[in-house]
Amino acid sequence: MTPLAVEVEVDGTLRRLALERNEGGWVVHMDGRAIPVDMYEPMPGVLSLLMEGRSYRCVRTVMADEETIAVGPRQHRVAVSDPRSLRAQRKRPGAGNGVLQIKASMPGRVARVLVAPGDAVLAHQGVVVIEAMKMQNELKAARDGRIVELRVAAGDKVASGQVLAVLE
Amino acid sequence: MASLRKILIANRGEIALRLLRACRELGISPVAVYSDADRGALHVQHADEAYRLGPAPSVDSYLRGDRILEIARQCGADAIHPGYGFLSENVEFAEACTAAGITFIGPPASAMRELGSKTRARAAADRAQMPRTPGSVRGLTSAEEALTLAKEIGYPVMLKAAAGGGGKGMRAIQRPEDLPSALISASDEAARAFGSGEVYLEKLIERPRHIEIQLLADQHGNVVYLGERECSVQRRHQKVIEEAPSAVVGPELRRRMGEAACRLAREAGYVNAGTVEFLVDEAQNFYFLEVNTRLQVEHAVTELVTGLDLVHLQIAVAEGKPLPFTQEQIVLRGHAVEVRVYAEDPDSAFLPSPGRITRLLRPGGPGIREDEGVYEGWEVPTEYDPMLSKLVAYAPDRATAIARLGCALDEYVIGGIRTNLKLLRRVLDDADFQAARIDTGYLDRLLAAPAPVRPDAATDTATDSASIAAMAAVMFAAPAAAPTTTRAQTPWQHEALRRGLRR
Repeated sequence: MTPLAVEVEVDGTLRRLALERNEGGWVVHMDGRAIPVDMYEPMPGVLSLLMEGRSYRCVRTVMADEETIAVGPRQHRVAVSDPRSLRAQRKRPGAGNGVLQIKASMPGRVARVLVAPGDAVLAHQGVVVIEAMKMQNELKAARDGRIVELRVAAGDKVASGQVLAVLE
Repeated sequence: MASLRKILIANRGEIALRLLRACRELGISPVAVYSDADRGALHVQHADEAYRLGPAPSVDSYLRGDRILEIARQCGADAIHPGYGFLSENVEFAEACTAAGITFIGPPASAMRELGSKTRARAAADRAQMPRTPGSVRGLTSAEEALTLAKEIGYPVMLKAAAGGGGKGMRAIQRPEDLPSALISASDEAARAFGSGEVYLEKLIERPRHIEIQLLADQHGNVVYLGERECSVQRRHQKVIEEAPSAVVGPELRRRMGEAACRLAREAGYVNAGTVEFLVDEAQNFYFLEVNTRLQVEHAVTELVTGLDLVHLQIAVAEGKPLPFTQEQIVLRGHAVEVRVYAEDPDSAFLPSPGRITRLLRPGGPGIREDEGVYEGWEVPTEYDPMLSKLVAYAPDRATAIARLGCALDEYVIGGIRTNLKLLRRVLDDADFQAARIDTGYLDRLLAAPAPVRPDAATDTATDSASIAAMAAVMFAAPAAAPTTTRAQTPWQHEALRRGLRR
């Protein structure tokens, strides 16, 4: 029967492989090779693969829509997608010039606001200090610009990903 | 003094669980307290009794000494163990316990007052004739004063919180123009973390090793030292890897540092477990740094090389029992290395990474000890220190301990949040760490260099781990023998289902 062909992005590199069932287990077609694989799922999210005389433990975790597979101690970011959505992604314009949002990278509390609306800021200049887990972290402007909008004040609680300020 | 029957543990996380287990081992009933964020925490699940303190922020919960004492009284606890952090070095709390007739498992308030404040401790060190770094023995009152003093002792200088610990309220300053703003932020951070914004200044020793002496003193005037720990692998003054013994401390230096530490303890009337921290320079001169008047995070490495249980001993001392051994009977055996597993992202400026742990596969094996406070499904709260667990390896020698710890880190999987596991592994693989060429700036230098590519275990086969990950990703993505979902499926998922890809 025809092998099932799939595209997978691993650490940003697109890989093509195909899976096929045979009597003993599975055959993976990859890079012009046909590799017999014995696959077993000891618990959800964990796969034991036996292939080419080696044993691999693969553990899948998902965090913020990002899928990671640990092969032993090695972590790989993976994205299995069908070719259509992949093409769609490529067409999407990059986050280029224009406005830039400064977002909270973690939930916490605003300890200090270091700028005022209208202030010109330089790249790497501190904008807002967020306190979380007892540590204060200064969020910096990614590039030169002007603060056009300030959406938080000292003492505010912020969620991860919340827009704190807008840079133009 | 009567034996303790019920101990309230005024802490959370791994240390609460570790203390709770020690209580159980001694037939003492452990009582937990918790904030709203910790209702589902392990220390609550495992306690005999558990009482709510209040909302998640520490000031409304674990720092509420009044609430904790009230709970202790109501539940009939004989004693309170404060763990580390929170109220552990709070003199007023220790005094309030004593006034309420409840044993505070730690030093007497007088000794805490003498040694707990870093500025006072520096004065006490002078009286005990211990070498210390040049700098102030009292808190700074203005930026002008700081600038004058810094000029006197010469840059670079360090700002430190008098009530501090764990790197909070601490800043290294290279140039005078950075001092005023650093003073404000250090004081601000200290006030938030410790309730006191007092900050002092001292000379920065270049490339020092951080080596500390574990002390134990009973109520009958016996003071012993249980060897040293080296904690030079730090980031932002936060310890990351600790070991015992230090690779550079021989019997003679150990004796000199140990005896100096004991002298200070006697001078201050110290009782119970405590730690005297030193900086050691390349010429093996040691300088008094500070005293931690509590059980340390890294106490486990001392336990492994001495064969003692420090929490059991703390409880015995609090019960008024004399130390069951003399200095001569303390023998160090083997080597122990501990790594602190943090919920933080080394790839994104070490930002804390709270959230739900969706996967937890723990390591094991001979010589592996883990003091943990988390479980699969646990939501790591944003409000507290991001330490998840302490993973410790013990072996006859340093190299074997490092190898064991490395294997354990390789087995360890924590999913759903970001952790520093990979970074810890990188340090253990580093030639300088393996040769013990470390100082307190070592980790920052390592982090400034690009991470070396770890050789692939599968180099002798044609398939690299990224390819394995690709295969696994496809196998995982194929819908399992689960009931059909209403979710739209991609054509290949349909195909996979049809062919029964998963078994």
